[in-house]
Amino acid sequence: MRGGALLAALAAVAALAAAPPLLGEYRTTLLLPVFGYGVALLGLNLLFGYGGLVSFGHAMFVAAGAYAAAVVTGVWRIESFEAVLLAAAAAGLALALPVGALCARYTKIFFGMLTLAFGMLFHSFLFKFYGLTGGDQGMRVRRPTLLGLEFEELDKTAFLVGPYYWYCLAVAALLALLMWRIVRSPFGLALRAQRDNPRKAEYLGVEVRRTRFVAFLVSAAFGAVGGAMLAVPTGLADPELAYWTHSGTLVFMTLLGGFAHFAGPLLGALAYVLLQDWLMSLTPYWRLLLGAVLALIVLACPQGLMGLPALLRARLAARRRRAAAPHPAPAE
Amino acid sequence: MAALIEVLAAGLFHAAVLFLVAAGLQLVFGVQRILNLACGSFYALGAYLGVTAGGLALGAGLSPLLALPLLVLAGAAVAALGPPVERLLRLVYDRDESFQLLLTFALVLMFQDLIRMGWGSQPQQVEGVYLAYGQVQLGAARIPVWNLLVLAAAIAIAGGLGLFLQRTDFGRILRATAENRRMAASLGVDTGRVYAAVFTLGTALGGIGGALVVPAAAAVPEKAVELVVEAFAVVVIGGLGSMPGALAGAAIVGLLRAGALLVWPELELLAVYAVVVAVLLLRPAGLFGRPAA
Amino acid sequence: MSPPLLETYRVGRRYGDFVALRDVTLRVHPGETVAIVGPNGAGKTTLVNVLTGLLRPSEGWVRFLGSDIAGAGPVRLAQLGMARAFQLVQVFPELTAAETIAVGALAQAGRGRRMLASLGADRALRARVEEVAAVFGLGPVLHRPARELSQGQKKLLDVASAFALRPTVILLDEPTSGVATADKHGIMATLTEAARRAGVQALLLVEHDIDLVETYATRVVGLRGGEVLADLPVRAFFADEEVTAALVGRRPARGAQG
Repeated sequence: MRGGALLAALAAVAALAAAPPLLGEYRTTLLLPVFGYGVALLGLNLLFGYGGLVSFGHAMFVAAGAYAAAVVTGVWRIESFEAVLLAAAAAGLALALPVGALCARYTKIFFGMLTLAFGMLFHSFLFKFYGLTGGDQGMRVRRPTLLGLEFEELDKTAFLVGPYYWYCLAVAALLALLMWRIVRSPFGLALRAQRDNPRKAEYLGVEVRRTRFVAFLVSAAFGAVGGAMLAVPTGLADPELAYWTHSGTLVFMTLLGGFAHFAGPLLGALAYVLLQDWLMSLTPYWRLLLGAVLALIVLACPQGLMGLPALLRARLAARRRRAAAPHPAPAE
Repeated sequence: MAALIEVLAAGLFHAAVLFLVAAGLQLVFGVQRILNLACGSFYALGAYLGVTAGGLALGAGLSPLLALPLLVLAGAAVAALGPPVERLLRLVYDRDESFQLLLTFALVLMFQDLIRMGWGSQPQQVEGVYLAYGQVQLGAARIPVWNLLVLAAAIAIAGGLGLFLQRTDFGRILRATAENRRMAASLGVDTGRVYAAVFTLGTALGGIGGALVVPAAAAVPEKAVELVVEAFAVVVIGGLGSMPGALAGAAIVGLLRAGALLVWPELELLAVYAVVVAVLLLRPAGLFGRPAA
Repeated sequence: MSPPLLETYRVGRRYGDFVALRDVTLRVHPGETVAIVGPNGAGKTTLVNVLTGLLRPSEGWVRFLGSDIAGAGPVRLAQLGMARAFQLVQVFPELTAAETIAVGALAQAGRGRRMLASLGADRALRARVEEVAAVFGLGPVLHRPARELSQGQKKLLDVASAFALRPTVILLDEPTSGVATADKHGIMATLTEAARRAGVQALLLVEHDIDLVETYATRVVGLRGGEVLADLPVRAFFADEEVTAALVGRRPARGAQG
């Protein structure tokens, strides 16, 4: 089982690493956001899937990472992408400390509302403080160096579909490995225990609120690092990144992939990016279709794509049982 | 002094509209335990129906002075969406809250484009009504009569809602269902019917709120998602599910925004959320909310 | 006599004008199984909540192993070595039986916060989990999620996870409620045996079933109207007809009782 997971992960990384020459420039560009979103969603799902806390404000951390990238490369003129990623993580943590301290006291609907509210608070800060943040214009993110290499000979697209693509793949793989460790640690177990039954968890010595708070911090750091990775291809950090509908989209992506599985958020990032691209090519009213897809998942396939095989198997088994049974079987 | 009165009037106008939306949100949360992210979508739909109805009626020569009842009706027409949407939400009543929230988010996405399909992306307004009603002079301050009418209408609706919930049989049934779903069902209450009615009422309130604004401010599709944020601030401050809370929260948010706009425009929403945070620290259940068990 | 493990002194608890507990003084010593009995509304739940640090008494004090635990909360209590199993079965539906036991075992070892340690590679933890599971006969279902277990297995798992804390004192709140009468003695026998093996020094038992109280308790504390009406060794308790009639209704009371 464990060996199987490791093998699948290695195969996925190898396939993605080999993809750019096969896919060509356009499709490779399309894949770039998958890494940034994948990292951000791994963080989101620590709260959602493992902690049972649905954040409708996670986009604020993605935005914080993007703005950190803009400040580091544009204002401080530090070009190292490693420095950008560290600064993004620090920015995410700095924002999550006060927000998490307040939000970790709540669960369920209240948690969702509060995170939404704080996300919008951050959005309005980005939007209104023109002098600091560029207001609705946002801030430019300059092209970073990777491991000290400038890749001067490459134009922007060649840089993005070449070195930047592989760099982001590596970062995403490493962070996925880190998250894999975290969810399989005593802390990860405590997080799942408080999700299932907070009272029982407390009587078994789990510091429920502290656990939620730490998960919130980790999730924010992942969100911000993902945000910085997303901001380089677009070259822009703008306030819309923090808007609550973007947070909703992040939750949607996680659900699409499957929140109950470790790899769900990664698959969700990939599936969403492809789905959105396809729907946008069909109609200007792609949100309508996207909304319909979301409604369908919520109603018919809440375990997302990762849960699809099990769902189909169950359906098939039920049909076979019905066909085999001469009389209608009683409800379980 | 004059500026202060004008700000007060603008704030109360805003508060009146917010109250209508928040009241709808509170009703639905109180009874169905669903937090409806699409409340802003109903508001935006009400606004656009108001634009269309207003445009048609004024074009046909209707006196602008009849705009108030006309717009209330146009906004209330959003209620037609109540039953089918409630039917959809019914599928997730016994599911985890996160799925309920996500289903209403799916509605937000869909309504956003439906509005774009129907009315396009350009700002639209009902012209002429705002001016036709004129202004009243209060000392040195000038206050648009329309704003006062909307305030009066909201107060009337709040009063009517209060009477309806406290004094009528259906209001009592509704409160009983909010208190204890199973108990109400065992006493023979048709909870399905109550849910449909409550959701429809909530939809109508949001729609009316949207329609009443269009003479004063243009309708834009983005309003559907913007309004949610303020409506949430109102219910967090007032306490989830509480009607008096919606009233107090709306007044606080409306006045605060107007005041912040006068003093330091950058602080608009920040000021509102500073209060949200303060309320959460001091009274986590909101001003009128019952503490969570 | 050795010092008491758990001790209250003149504990009172009021809710507004309503007095839920008045002047409750009791001690629990090593080796005892103390049953708390009394009619509904006698204050049993309030007393249990005070004893487990969930409620702060309005008057008096409560100590566990010498430290003040008034309102200390369940996490602190678990760290100090007091465990509690609830009347209604409490499990983590999506966690396997092994994981459920591991939650308690990790807290007991002070390793519950670690973020990068691998659970899978923790041999000591696995041994401890298997040891606890064996006591409760949960070995065969160790890797099944709790939601798939039978009601009886859930109950055992609930208690097993509490034992994983290696508690000094364990409080069992109607441990056999919801269990068929025939199984009650079986469960109690498993629990007391497990307690002995786990090094639990004293048991607190809230129980309606008088048969069980008579069989397993060493001492009975009878509550009524928030006050201690009797605090007697089990034999003396059941020998006193007036007390038993008032507290456990073994004989039909003459007046109508609520």
